[in-house]
Amino acid sequence: MAVSFKGPRKFLTILLFIAPTLIGLFILSVYPITYNIYISFNNRNTFRPRANCEGAPVGGEVPPAWQTRLTQVLEPTCWEVFSNTKTVGRGQFYSFSDPLGENYTKLFGDLITRESLISLTRLLGALSPLLIVWGIRRYLNRQISPPRSWWLWPLGVVVVYGLWQLLDASAAITQLQDTGDFFVVLFRTILYVLACIPLFFLMGLVLALILNNEHIRGRGIWRSLLIVPWAVQSYIAALVWQFFFRGEVGTINQLLKALGIVEKGPTWLGDPNRPWLAFAAVVIINLWMSYPFFTVVILGALQSIPHEQYEAAEVDGANWWDKLTLITLPLLRPAVLPAVVLSSITTFQMFNTVWLVTRGGPVSGAGKPGFTEFVMLHAYRLFQDQNFGRMGAFAVIVFAMLFVATLFSLRYTRITKGAYE
Amino acid sequence: MKKLNPFVKFLFYAVLVVAVIFAVYPIWFMFLASIRPGQSLVSLDLAGMFWPTEVTWSNYQAMLFGTPIPGSNPYDFWRWVYNSLKVAGLTTIATLFISTSAAFAVSRFQFRGREMLLIFFLAIQAFPGILSLIPIAQLLTAMGLFGTHLGLILAYSAGALVFNTWNLKGYFDTIPVELEEAAMIDGAGPIQSFIRIVLPLSTPALAVTAWFGFLGGFSEFVLASILLAGKPGQDTLPVALWKLSGSQSVPWGQFAAGALLISIPLLIIFFLTQRFLVSGLTIGGVKG
Repeated sequence: MAVSFKGPRKFLTILLFIAPTLIGLFILSVYPITYNIYISFNNRNTFRPRANCEGAPVGGEVPPAWQTRLTQVLEPTCWEVFSNTKTVGRGQFYSFSDPLGENYTKLFGDLITRESLISLTRLLGALSPLLIVWGIRRYLNRQISPPRSWWLWPLGVVVVYGLWQLLDASAAITQLQDTGDFFVVLFRTILYVLACIPLFFLMGLVLALILNNEHIRGRGIWRSLLIVPWAVQSYIAALVWQFFFRGEVGTINQLLKALGIVEKGPTWLGDPNRPWLAFAAVVIINLWMSYPFFTVVILGALQSIPHEQYEAAEVDGANWWDKLTLITLPLLRPAVLPAVVLSSITTFQMFNTVWLVTRGGPVSGAGKPGFTEFVMLHAYRLFQDQNFGRMGAFAVIVFAMLFVATLFSLRYTRITKGAYE
Repeated sequence: MKKLNPFVKFLFYAVLVVAVIFAVYPIWFMFLASIRPGQSLVSLDLAGMFWPTEVTWSNYQAMLFGTPIPGSNPYDFWRWVYNSLKVAGLTTIATLFISTSAAFAVSRFQFRGREMLLIFFLAIQAFPGILSLIPIAQLLTAMGLFGTHLGLILAYSAGALVFNTWNLKGYFDTIPVELEEAAMIDGAGPIQSFIRIVLPLSTPALAVTAWFGFLGGFSEFVLASILLAGKPGQDTLPVALWKLSGSQSVPWGQFAAGALLISIPLLIIFFLTQRFLVSGLTIGGVKG
């Protein structure tokens, strides 16, 4: 390594370089995460604005000393430095919830019961053939001359369908959806990711294959026009598309009417009887915003595939399907996988676009999460409803999931290695 | 090279045309709406949805020189632009100033806990801003910064610090160590080799990182809408345009005009800097 020096001087130099960033991150990231954990054990789910800094009795009982101590350390309104901005409100004290994990149990609802766990097993069991197919193909493709095995996928889907009926997975989902908001929100967010990513890939692949064909004229211009959505800021895109999907005045419905297809278009975003329309709308909008990224990534990878490979395959009598599945797709893998992983994480935690378009709706009943109320929107709604304790618990769980996903994605994106290589 | 089957060729062009319409129409529609007089968006004929039938520049006039929201101050549009530039610009400058040296240290120095530090950065990166709304709001309230631009800058800085450190570390890793070793033989210390050798070599990377960081702050919506507490005159562009688009008293054409006025400079810069895009975006994974 470039720098070889030892002892206290090394320590001080490194500190000089890193300390400002670390201090910044400690205050602006570590502290908020810690505070979220703290607040997730509090009963701050209705209007309880004041922190019990002095350990005054609540409901006739003096809180234990460790609780008061924790509050004094973590609650900024208790800190001496900020005593001049202290709010002297009238509201109640918030305190630790009783039992301590109440926010978590309320959040999960009935998800941790025997019945729900059986349903979950049934659901995962019905889907397991896909995992098995993936494993077999992974093994086969390691062989020196791997046999063709793409047909395992349709076979797997058929087996999944059979198991789905056999294990009655639909009933399992219905049961799980009754357990509470957490499962519903998470399930729909995963559905959203699963609906979006293959579409991104497919549209990116088709366009990149066409743009990579040298018989097409003006490829530079086509490419520039096709990646325009990438340059549009997400909130502007969301607001314009929101206008497109409006009911009476919405552009899409007006277009349908002008073309004489339907007299009165559907209520895209707010129809509780047909919530799939709103779901489809946010998928289309996300597709519009994200396919350019995939097109550019795939096009770049296509251009690095040597021509000789295709020529050799043609000599061997390969048709276009053989070339696509045996040469193009396997060689695209290393470039596309990081894009898929990163887009999945971004889509999972998408807020702006979905919120600006649907506000999480349509809602089928009071207090229930709306059909497009994905993970981040749910967190935001808990915040708006002043369910601070519950939001803290939700944030802790989502954070854990995202952290695991990020660590997992490291294997594919090699984020710790030099990124500009 | 073999000739392409004419039917396939036709199919390819058809796909391209449909895709281009899908890609460009929303922006073209915005332009049409921005030059259309009054509220006539509600009843349109087929031609009017694709081609300008009546042309007026009054929406642009209202945005640029008038009062976009009735009853508020004239030149409000410029106020929003100024607010956004200020918040995003100061965030970028401050965090870049702080995090460049940290990125260098993580890239070059060997010390105990370095791996842990990298994992720590990743963990923080996995924590989206919305989830820390409560602690940040609480902290800013205690500091008396709730509803101020400085508070918003602080809230943005968390994400920007990690993003910058990651991006720049990735770039520093690609600069050959031999240059610095040569300098050290000539008696340069780590600080000197950082300032005299590595920094001058990284100007493009610094520019790209700054630009992405800036764009993130420039188009952020949620934190701004909450932490500025809707005080008039404080709004950043995303919040203000959002209010315009939903307002009943403001023609939608004015929103379209404002949105285009912001989008066009960004579109131009985007096409000038295209080639940096992929590397810049695949690294961080912390868009916005």
